[in-house]
Amino acid sequence: MDIKKIWIPLLFLILAIFPPFFLSQYWLHVMIISLFYVMMASSWNLIAGYTGQISFAHAAFSGVGAYVSGMLAVNLGVSPWLGILIGSAVAALLGLGLGYLCIRMGGIYLSLTTLGFSEILRIIITNEDKWTRGTMGLQVPGFFTDYSKANCYYLFLVVAVLFLIIIYCLIHSEMGLSFRAVLNDELAASSSGIDTIRVRVLAFTISSAMAGVAGGLYGHYLMLITPDIPTLGQMFLVLAMAVIGGMGSFVGPIVGSFALEILSEYIRIYGEYHVLIFGLVALGVARFAPEGMVGILSRRWRRRNLS
Amino acid sequence: MRGGGKGRFMSEFLMYLTNGIIMGVINAISAIGVSLIVGIMKVVNFAHGELYIFAGYFSYHLSTSLGVHPFLAIPLSVFFIFLLGILMERTLIRPTYGDEMYSLIITFVLSIVLQNAALLIFGPYPNKPPTLVSGATNLFGLFHYGNQRLLSFGISIGILLSIFYLIKRTWFGKSVRAISQDRGMASLVGVDHLRVNMISFGLGAGLAGAAGVIIAPIFPVTPTGSSAISLNAFVVVVLGGMGSLKGCVVGGLVLGILENLGAAYISTMYRHIFGFIVLILVLVFRPWGLFGQKTQ
Repeated sequence: MDIKKIWIPLLFLILAIFPPFFLSQYWLHVMIISLFYVMMASSWNLIAGYTGQISFAHAAFSGVGAYVSGMLAVNLGVSPWLGILIGSAVAALLGLGLGYLCIRMGGIYLSLTTLGFSEILRIIITNEDKWTRGTMGLQVPGFFTDYSKANCYYLFLVVAVLFLIIIYCLIHSEMGLSFRAVLNDELAASSSGIDTIRVRVLAFTISSAMAGVAGGLYGHYLMLITPDIPTLGQMFLVLAMAVIGGMGSFVGPIVGSFALEILSEYIRIYGEYHVLIFGLVALGVARFAPEGMVGILSRRWRRRNLS
Repeated sequence: MRGGGKGRFMSEFLMYLTNGIIMGVINAISAIGVSLIVGIMKVVNFAHGELYIFAGYFSYHLSTSLGVHPFLAIPLSVFFIFLLGILMERTLIRPTYGDEMYSLIITFVLSIVLQNAALLIFGPYPNKPPTLVSGATNLFGLFHYGNQRLLSFGISIGILLSIFYLIKRTWFGKSVRAISQDRGMASLVGVDHLRVNMISFGLGAGLAGAAGVIIAPIFPVTPTGSSAISLNAFVVVVLGGMGSLKGCVVGGLVLGILENLGAAYISTMYRHIFGFIVLILVLVFRPWGLFGQKTQ
């Protein structure tokens, strides 16, 4: 990364320090949830946008992270900080297993199986209410002894930035090169010595682990873990944020997460219509502007600079 | 006493088995709808379950709210779903050919849109269209079995036979098979593959609809039940082997019987889990499925 490029993210990072000083508690909460979605959409983009594998289990993996950490805290008194790491490791292992089984068979199999995994996890969590408290939700301890939204905001900010740095380094490393090689031409990539399956399984495992961490943070922030976390509805929101923001671009999912989360606060009054509206918008974007908001904006930017 | 207990066990077992077989043929119809589209276009229709649900609601509203005779309401609902499938192919799926990733994204988003639309239009409550026949018949001299279920079984067998005839014996079926084997070659010898794609997508949707209208009078449909239905069809397709019609029938029966016996003897709540276990076992031991080709 050259010096010029580093200024823009740095500027945003410095600006990101200030919101707790002037935002109301309510909008600070919206910012924290947006940061959760940044983690989710960006890590989903790592497999979907960069290796072309569509996983429908990303929300499910965040649920794994949340419930493993939550149940450890409630039953064994494990600290959330350790619990999240264990939860993320479990999500990574499940991701490794599913990825290993499906990716060698092709992308369609991964999508089908992850959809199944997502449904099954929801059924197990809802039915095993002895452990998970079912639809009542699992009450879990928070991170800090004295509850403060500002602390949580900084925690989410640090983890989100850490994730983004890891993702950035991955896609600009030699492995990222092979990600893109696999996406562009699988046959050519495999004949030039890239183990396409290993690359994809690795990307899938990393992204599942990230979803696990994000889910754990989300659960302990809200202090209530419900079966709504690992649903396909939640999965849809993450997917819509990445698609509307711009899949396969680094900035796209970040923009998409903030845009949709903030927008959904305004259209929440329309209740059930709000998922339908997001769905129709995502459908339109995927059909007519597959590069998303970021793609449209950067194209316009380039055109203006040319003329 | 022991003899009596054994007899009761036998008759219960046979009843669950019959339930499984009937669910199995309906599974097969629904799965062929997915398999046909996968075989020809390499597109997985994630909105499959929603089309199934919509057909159930259509037949309910046509016959109950509009007073159309059930015998007319059923084919009419399937035809609407067929048209909906054609519309989907023309507007959303056609531009994604060759880009597997976008077709997966688009059909998944479409499934969410349709599910929410169904919730708004039809409401969250299960609806049951009127049954065509009433009463029950004594089967094997062991248990009474609802005539509606027997009729559903008969209709399902009829649909399965017509599909096999369509694919194996007609010109349309020949072009479908030609395209799934080699798209380039098929269009070279004059098969209009865009038209075949469109009709096949409509047909795949129509089969989802057919399964939906057959099941709705037995098990009422709800908008939230759609992902389980899609999942069921996907498990059957993977178990049978992608693109294999025979595989769909055998896979559908295996899953139908397994789910019903499992629900009866192991756990009702985990009915859908048996399908997922089957899916994982297939992926571990025979990923190309029972009748699929081992190409990869």
